[in-house]
Amino acid sequence: MRIDRDTFREILDSLLRNRSRSLLTGFGVFWGVFMLMLLSGGGNGFRELLEKNFEGFAHNTCIVLPSETTKPYKGFQKGRSWSLNLTDVDRLRNLVPELETVTPLTSLWGESVSNGDRLFTASVKGVRPDYVNIETPKLVYGRYINWMDIQEDKKVCVIGKKVYKTIFPEGGDPCGKKVVMDGVYYQVVGVDYNEGNMNVNGRADEAITIPMSTMSRTYNFGNQFQLLCFTAKEGIQMADLIPRIRAIIARNHYVHPEDEQAMFMINTQVLFGIIDNLFKGINFLVWLIGLGTLLAGAIGVSNIMMVSVKERTTEIGIRRAIGATPRQILWQIIAESIVLTLVAGMIGIVASVLILAGLELGMTEDGILQATFQVSFGVALLAALLLSVLGSLAGLAPSLRAMAIKPVDAMRDE
Amino acid sequence: MALIELRDINKTYDNGQPLHILGILDNYDTGTYHLAGKLIKDLSENQAAEYRNRMIGFIFQSFNLIGFKTAVENVELPLFYQGVPRRKRHELAMEYLEKLGLTQWATHFPNEMSGGQRQRVAIARALITKPEIILADEPTGALDSKTSVEVMQLLKQLNKEEGITIIVVTHESGVANETNKIIHIKDGIIGQIEENTSHSAWDGTMMK
Repeated sequence: MRIDRDTFREILDSLLRNRSRSLLTGFGVFWGVFMLMLLSGGGNGFRELLEKNFEGFAHNTCIVLPSETTKPYKGFQKGRSWSLNLTDVDRLRNLVPELETVTPLTSLWGESVSNGDRLFTASVKGVRPDYVNIETPKLVYGRYINWMDIQEDKKVCVIGKKVYKTIFPEGGDPCGKKVVMDGVYYQVVGVDYNEGNMNVNGRADEAITIPMSTMSRTYNFGNQFQLLCFTAKEGIQMADLIPRIRAIIARNHYVHPEDEQAMFMINTQVLFGIIDNLFKGINFLVWLIGLGTLLAGAIGVSNIMMVSVKERTTEIGIRRAIGATPRQILWQIIAESIVLTLVAGMIGIVASVLILAGLELGMTEDGILQATFQVSFGVALLAALLLSVLGSLAGLAPSLRAMAIKPVDAMRDE
Repeated sequence: MALIELRDINKTYDNGQPLHILGILDNYDTGTYHLAGKLIKDLSENQAAEYRNRMIGFIFQSFNLIGFKTAVENVELPLFYQGVPRRKRHELAMEYLEKLGLTQWATHFPNEMSGGQRQRVAIARALITKPEIILADEPTGALDSKTSVEVMQLLKQLNKEEGITIIVVTHESGVANETNKIIHIKDGIIGQIEENTSHSAWDGTMMK
């Protein structure tokens, strides 16, 4: 059949002049697409919201926490305290080449940081510059701790968002100003706005970060430190490395290599793996439900078209009597189905996009978008493609039935 | 028409071109007939549609206009299936509507018109393809007597002026009386065939 403006007008006329029928038919598809888009956009947005909690935290990190031994080993009784020291860092670097970053962390809790009469009780982290590979800071002002600070034991600090808001209530760039902690003055060199809920040693926004060397000297840690963080190179499973790492550290400190409590290791890869799988599952469900609804809509279209063909027997009979070929009738019904599905589907896409946009608007804080709920253009395009396929499939059975109508049927009924 | 089983028709109808009917119209297999010199047998659906479109005009008892189309769109429809461009189609349809005195009703929907007007729209639709033959199935069956007369006058006029063969199936003797030739069919078998050029075969009583 010719596909031109005339044919299109004919189809459009049939659809528009039987408005209630078209509306009923289209609604199923509209609802299907609407739900599919809304669910997929919403699911995406909630994943992003959840992921915000882990923002800035490397996904393949492992953290070692030393604790009292629970097994006697090499003549030592159980219940002995031990600490990590800088030789562990060097050993791991040399003996486990699969590791990307190995960085020690010294920590203290509940230290008062003050600026004049403003005071904040913060956790203190003593870091090396490569700690950024574990927890990435979101610096709004200044810089992070660098190697120069470490070498020269500089008294500088990076303060978290909450610390900054509390002790510098007037706002503005605090860099260059001094804060006091335990009687020592530190110059502020940066402000970290990282607000992720996944942190080592306390929330980043409630922490003050200083060079590790400075911290060790000030608090007499010697070459000992509290936490050891490391990340694996790309493509390497942290779980495969852990027994070796455990053995290396254990030998250095005469700790039983199977004493898991003495050397507690947190592997974030496992945690992130669980979350990833969870969202894969949710995503799968979203598409399953969406596609199911869409399919139900398409079957609805097919059904109503079927009824409508029955109802239009006389009309189709007349068309046949005045010279329409069966193929023309077939195409008319299929085309009606496609146009109806497409238009209803597009309205569904537009409606869901609008609602998702509204959701994004509601989720915006200080002009910063918290999470993208919007579906991508690709997804919308895919949905539209899917719709045209579904539309033609839905129109198939009714059109075949319409094709079977003979001219003489125009004279039956009535 | 097709609804009547024609078991024994072998007749030639004249409008210059012969129409030869033999056997059963509704079933191509049992007999043969020629329409305007063309053998109507074993037609493909497409050919059949083409012949219906170009050679035959249908007029029905219940008008059979498409309800959601205006008068002019209904008249245009056969040309749509011929692939005539929209503008030309519209012009032609308006021309035919004018011929039947329906110009001001062109944009009205069938349910806004009277029975007589609807039947005239249907006649315009049958005429627009300039058919060889018009098949009318009880064309006055749904009309009152006054409009019936008007419609019959119109058909007669078409026969006279355009030379179109018109076959009318009817139960009404008054309608039959308007025709030039009457073929009586009983239980599908042709009985009497009358020449009726004087239009005085009946005095208005029911056909038997």
